[in-house]
Amino acid sequence: MLVLSRRAGESIVIGNDVVITILEVRGGQIRVGVDAPRNLAVHRAEIYEQVLAENRAAAASTDLQASILSTKATGLRLQDPTRSAE
Amino acid sequence: MEQQILEFDDGIPGFPDARRFQLVELVDDGAFQLLQSVDDPDLAIVVAVPWLFFSDYAPELTDVDQDGLGIESEEDAVVFCAVTLESDRRTAHMNLLGPFVVNVKSRKGRQIVLTDQDYPIRALLPLGVS
Repeated sequence: MLVLSRRAGESIVIGNDVVITILEVRGGQIRVGVDAPRNLAVHRAEIYEQVLAENRAAAASTDLQASILSTKATGLRLQDPTRSAE
Repeated sequence: MEQQILEFDDGIPGFPDARRFQLVELVDDGAFQLLQSVDDPDLAIVVAVPWLFFSDYAPELTDVDQDGLGIESEEDAVVFCAVTLESDRRTAHMNLLGPFVVNVKSRKGRQIVLTDQDYPIRALLPLGVS
């Protein structure tokens, strides 16, 4: 890993179109600004990791999940007011 | 929307190479669909429209996501969320933190991560029947 020291107001450029700026350093917290192209998703790592783990769980044993949920769905339709009104 | 190819140009977290999906009905007129990878037959995720279960769900897309998907109004967007069944096979959860959003006109989709909106990644699904 490349390690750089930066002060508040200083930036790092990644490639040609990603700029990361240290906005504020206070106590144990650092505020970071990210300028990136709109097709590039920027996430807090811990939240991204949660979504990734949940996707993997959702994709595991899908056939079983699908068969059980579709069975439940029969009763579900009766409970759902938006559908029973149709 | 079934039979149509949905293009997730960035893949989805955990499956970066899965770019093309189809939305397949599990049963006729049922609550759940399958987000099925076109390229990898082993990859599929059960999904449902979140408002069937959580009527006050109001995900806000950032400008970046709206522009990236080319969504100009609410009517352009279709939203569905991943459903996971627990190992007890009785309880299920819905991922409200990371909804799948598809532009119905362009068929471009993304899994959006809703930052700072306090939606749970595992919201208990009120299935009620077993």
